[in-house]
Amino acid sequence: MPIIRMIFKEVWHRKVNFLLAVLAVTTAVAFLVAFFTASKASERETARLMLSMGYNLHVIAKDADIGGFLMIGIPDKTMPEAYLTKLASQNSISYNHLLATLEGKTKWRGMDVVLTGLAPEVCPPGQQKQAMTFSVEPGTAYVGHRIAQEFQVQKGDTIDVNGKKLKVERCLAESGGLDDMRIQCRLQDAQEILGLPGQITAIKAVDCLCFEKGDPVAALRKEIGSILPEAQVFQVKSLANARAKQRQMIRNIFAVMLPFVIIACGVWIGVLAVMNVRDRRPEIGLLRALGYDTGKVMLLFLGKAMLVGLFGAAAGFLLGTELGLQFGPGVFEITAKTMLRPELSLFVRASILAPLFAMVASFIPTVIAITYDPATTLREE
Amino acid sequence: MLILRDLTKTYRTRAGEVKALDGVSLRIDKGEFVAVCGPSGSGKTTLLMMVAAMLRPSRGTVRFNGRDIYEMTGPARAKFRAKNIGFVFQMFHLVPYLNVVENVLLAAGAVHGRDGKTRAEELLQRLGLQHRIGHRPSELSAGEKQRTAIARALLNQPKLILADEPTGNLDLENARCVLEHLQSFQRDGGTVIVATHGPAAKEFATRTIDLQDGQLA
Repeated sequence: MPIIRMIFKEVWHRKVNFLLAVLAVTTAVAFLVAFFTASKASERETARLMLSMGYNLHVIAKDADIGGFLMIGIPDKTMPEAYLTKLASQNSISYNHLLATLEGKTKWRGMDVVLTGLAPEVCPPGQQKQAMTFSVEPGTAYVGHRIAQEFQVQKGDTIDVNGKKLKVERCLAESGGLDDMRIQCRLQDAQEILGLPGQITAIKAVDCLCFEKGDPVAALRKEIGSILPEAQVFQVKSLANARAKQRQMIRNIFAVMLPFVIIACGVWIGVLAVMNVRDRRPEIGLLRALGYDTGKVMLLFLGKAMLVGLFGAAAGFLLGTELGLQFGPGVFEITAKTMLRPELSLFVRASILAPLFAMVASFIPTVIAITYDPATTLREE
Repeated sequence: MLILRDLTKTYRTRAGEVKALDGVSLRIDKGEFVAVCGPSGSGKTTLLMMVAAMLRPSRGTVRFNGRDIYEMTGPARAKFRAKNIGFVFQMFHLVPYLNVVENVLLAAGAVHGRDGKTRAEELLQRLGLQHRIGHRPSELSAGEKQRTAIARALLNQPKLILADEPTGNLDLENARCVLEHLQSFQRDGGTVIVATHGPAAKEFATRTIDLQDGQLA
């Protein structure tokens, strides 16, 4: 009789024991899946929130006036647009979401406005992610709140900026900052309007804050400096710190809770496995008497543990994902709809790790099973 | 076929050492039906377990066809058991989640490359269990359970059957039936050793051995 068939028959015979063990794995996997799903959503939400505050990494021309840039946030010098391609083509770097911009003051209908040209966001190789900002189509414009209010500009209107006609795609909500005075358009349109073809004033990015030790700005400057020696790098620290703190907080919660959950579920499975072994002492004794070697008896118990792990992984993934999707929107109010989604990579990991976990938890009871003296067991009954 | 020499088994308990078997020497030839008789605690089961290569003696040797079975490695002893020995127990020891034919086939699982399904069905028919093939042990009578255990013991065509109180849980009619099947195996050239404290097996045995306090009486 094949061992696998015996495992299935035994599982069916002792359903309660099996279901309780599956429940233990399900609990552990559901906890991890819900946590990772929420963490991922949290990271995406942080990124999205950061966007509303601005990108936290700015690369500007080396000869730009730093004082002026820090005071008004607009660099006074330009640099070639090709720098973007250079930065975006690097492997193994610690920044992402590269956005080339060209910003310049200009007069529109007698009012000082900031014209901002935006290129579509690009990601370095292997780091493709959902764009953090909107993409402005050629020939269209996003108009700041103050400007729209002052000149009664509405969505669908066509505005003329220094001879370039742009269709208003959207009038932005009030920000209470410089964005209220911006007209945002496609980078190429801005270059044409400002008479700066092929030029940009800044490359904005989001850094990954991977440098946990030492000075992260110095490390970033070194990294970007080696790629673009003709540029200088600024990090908006308050945003960076907020992001780092949030990530650290998530890691801390995870680090504290994970061992408890894993140990509790491991003990749970172990106790059930011990009970199962005790129930099956006569069977183990019989198998040994019939000439089954220790490997086959081990397989009988570890095979069952693997089955427990597989079922637990599937159920835990479904439960964890459902929990994340049910309760996530309450936590991630801004981006819940787009940021919370099933993480299939977690299912793959759970399908590999949960059976291993169940097998490790059942290992000691299995060893107990193979060390039972068949002569003693058969005599006891 | 089977030579036991100075077979001794000592157990250490909190109360001190207990000799379950004390210097038993015995020769059993092929084709014998030996009844090992004695009261509870006389060492019958210990003797059977030692012959079955499942309980290493504290002293002495067990030779099966000239070979000391306790000189073999653990896995080699397991293979030896699977090929040469069939077991019948008082408590039947049927696996509760397997049906009758699967319980019989369990014996084939330890011997690689053998598909005993046809033989298992033949044996069950011979033992009058053809109508019970798909039944679980919980659905069988005591006599049917023991006949299933006999079919399991016979599946690998062993040279020796060891039966430990095989009629202990059976009524007279079923006890006779079980002993007749064991006798049939012996008449076909097999060897049977039955440990019993009842008189029934003596009637079928070609030789009776009495044990008293671990020694041959």
